[in-house]
Amino acid sequence: MFLGIDIGSSSSKAVIINAQLKILGKAVFNTGAGTQGPEKAVGAAFREAGISGEKIKFSVVTGYGRMTYDKADKQITEITCHARGAAHMIPSARTVIDIGGQDAKVIRLDKDGKVENFVMNEKCAAGTGRFLEVMARILDCSIGNLSSLSENASEEIIISNTCTVFAESEVISQLSSGAKRENVAQGAHKAVAKRVAGLGSRIGLAPDVVMTGGVALNKGVVAALEKETGQKITVVENPQIIGAIGAALYAWETASKLS
Amino acid sequence: MNRIEKIISALEETANHPAKAVKASMKETGKKAVGCFPYYTPDEIIYAAGLLPVGLWGGQTDIKLADKYLQSFCCSIMRINVEQGMKGMYDFLSAVIIPAYCDTLKCICDNWHVAVPQTYLIPMVYPQHRKIAAGVAYLIDEYKRVQKELETIAGKKITEKDLEDSIALYEDYRETMRHFTAIVSRYSKTLNAKTRHLIIKAAYFMDKRLYAIKIKELMEELKRLPEEKLDGIKVVVTGILAETDALLDAFVQNKIVFVADDLAHESRQFRTSVRSEGTALERLAYRIADHDGCSLLYDEEKKHGQLLIDLVRENHADGVVVCMMKFCNPEEFDYPIYKKELEVAGIPMLYLEIEQKMDSAEQIRTRIQSFAEMIK
Repeated sequence: MFLGIDIGSSSSKAVIINAQLKILGKAVFNTGAGTQGPEKAVGAAFREAGISGEKIKFSVVTGYGRMTYDKADKQITEITCHARGAAHMIPSARTVIDIGGQDAKVIRLDKDGKVENFVMNEKCAAGTGRFLEVMARILDCSIGNLSSLSENASEEIIISNTCTVFAESEVISQLSSGAKRENVAQGAHKAVAKRVAGLGSRIGLAPDVVMTGGVALNKGVVAALEKETGQKITVVENPQIIGAIGAALYAWETASKLS
Repeated sequence: MNRIEKIISALEETANHPAKAVKASMKETGKKAVGCFPYYTPDEIIYAAGLLPVGLWGGQTDIKLADKYLQSFCCSIMRINVEQGMKGMYDFLSAVIIPAYCDTLKCICDNWHVAVPQTYLIPMVYPQHRKIAAGVAYLIDEYKRVQKELETIAGKKITEKDLEDSIALYEDYRETMRHFTAIVSRYSKTLNAKTRHLIIKAAYFMDKRLYAIKIKELMEELKRLPEEKLDGIKVVVTGILAETDALLDAFVQNKIVFVADDLAHESRQFRTSVRSEGTALERLAYRIADHDGCSLLYDEEKKHGQLLIDLVRENHADGVVVCMMKFCNPEEFDYPIYKKELEVAGIPMLYLEIEQKMDSAEQIRTRIQSFAEMIK
């Protein structure tokens, strides 16, 4: 068995695969680096797979918290792992958009599914899951309900500030001026989409475009991104665990080379 | 500690503690020191006056006072330089030369008199049209004005022979450094990205004559060693400078070797020689005219991209790392042009936006590691 762990800024993910690359166990815990999240995710994945730690031949850790997690055999970046995971799930993928808790990445893949080029957002929450979290808090809804809230939007609202802190003030002003929550929610999705589309334009978005990461669960963001980029975007099944799947695949590959 | 380690350790110590090193150099040589703002200054004239040219390329100081004069969208090198000036960290210098290569440097020239009144300012303007006769003549006139200012500070006349001797010494330094950077790929472990940077940086805080002797000694000692097998990734690095420690550590950890550079702080200082004909000041002016591929010097033919492609091919590099100094307009204007050319040439490129003082290097570390994983 092979273990992949993805320790993000806001959640921890673990995936266990067998030598036939079948997923036996997977888990997501909504606490990230520097918490008990990674241990809980790994434990839950073991329970789902019905195995114990001794069965793991090789493990790879990825994500923001990879440098401080010392229980894995190897660490690889989330860019490489998301690319590998996405290409495994959708072999025709040539572009991967991964929006996580604190960063956004656009990764170009070659025909073999290897990373050809990539761009990442600068150290700023604009265009990331954190931006949506802040918006959800102001709109008094859960992050999971932000997408359904935006479905009832009746009017387009533009959030002009890309900075999350300034955007927060802007949205509070709009709400106090009578703007509808639904419209603001849709505006927030559009703001993220614009930022990520701008990032993608630096390396170009070649089809098929695949989206991974927790924010891919938000249909409003996906729709806004499709509109901004003019490209069809495929959301991978279980987008949150794609980095962990990539890590598990590298664990399998490394172990195969060693044996 | 063997001889090589001793030389490298001494140079690293110099680069890591500039103020201490400059004061030691002043004591050792008995010279007054003149600060030189980026990017190019007539160091040969300063040296000919019997003064010690000292490079002022920012540092790791927190910015508090400089915000009074420079907005947050000015580059960190200039903001830190003004901050250090205002904090009195340059008080031991007899003057600073500030060349107006960009809008921020122009503002600093205006503000310096009130912001740092205790440190004498010699402003300079380099010609945009540096290759035409009028541009060269203008630059020679600028050099003459600066020369007079330096003569006053030094309390001596600078003769043509002083200038020629100084140019000869600087030519020797430049040639030595070209040899040094060329051997990095043969000793990629000893001269890893961080060590290479610190060795080159030390030149800014030492007498160039003594510095060149040290580098020659180091190269002689290295020649006695068997070549080190290069098992990492070879890159050409471009930009203003490649700092901080965390950035350089990430390159070392991921076995990324700088087989050549096009950094304003490093090779751009020594890759172009003076011409052999003409008066000393003409030779210096033509060195600026002949220096290409630098965003700070107007180049209507836009040769920067081809220069990078040539560096990649000559050194069999795997890619180019762009260390983009945040808010450096001249470098940012150049980037889209050479990016396209590198893409057409099929050369992988890593873009890193850097500041001199970065509290968190996690994102940059991830990008560097991802680039290494991509190339492997």
